[in-house]
Amino acid sequence: MSGTDDSKAQAGDLVPSRRTVLFMGAAAASTVVTIRPALAQTAGSVLNCEIPVPGPHAAGNHIAADGSLVAPGTPGAAPPLARPLRGEEARVLLRGSTPPGVNPQSAQAYANYIRRLQSGMSGFTCYASLQMPR
Amino acid sequence: MAAPRYIADPEGALACVALDGLSVLFHAPSGMTHIVAPPAPEILAALREGPADVAELLARLQAHYDFEDEIGNDVVAARLDELEQAGLVRRA
Repeated sequence: MSGTDDSKAQAGDLVPSRRTVLFMGAAAASTVVTIRPALAQTAGSVLNCEIPVPGPHAAGNHIAADGSLVAPGTPGAAPPLARPLRGEEARVLLRGSTPPGVNPQSAQAYANYIRRLQSGMSGFTCYASLQMPR
Repeated sequence: MAAPRYIADPEGALACVALDGLSVLFHAPSGMTHIVAPPAPEILAALREGPADVAELLARLQAHYDFEDEIGNDVVAARLDELEQAGLVRRA
């Protein structure tokens, strides 16, 4: 490639300013590499990302039905989850169902906690990824 | 059986950036991005003149470019096959 003008001529125009030698490649060689769309590529990682409930900033707190953080022992509050939710489990929760291993009576509180996540909080990126159209 | 004819999307469907011998193509209708080497961009440009079969496409390219070696229809067909698989050209 000798310069910008040549690049433009090869990329778009069919009438180069001078005749260019075009390399056609061998029949068996490949000249196209397709990059998978970013969303398709992240589909697997979205399902495997994690959301701690609650996050480290609120370790030990319980979760009220509306998703807010409350002190342990608060009536009706759900205890912290023993392990972070995986992306797929969070997706199930946000749809109103209960993933295996989660107390159904606490599911709504956990779902609301996830909905309250904001940028910078642990699990927010995972939650945001779940919102993206696929 | 008549030879298949191929067609490419209009230029507006593709965003093309030339990168030192290679080109990056974003194909808006599919949302796919491709890195292509010559002669892919040239074939796409030639097909924008209208549908063409392998022989006609080769004639169009020969009208504008020289080739290092003698080019057979099999090489052009191979290039079209991979462009078709990538969704950048389709049968007319």
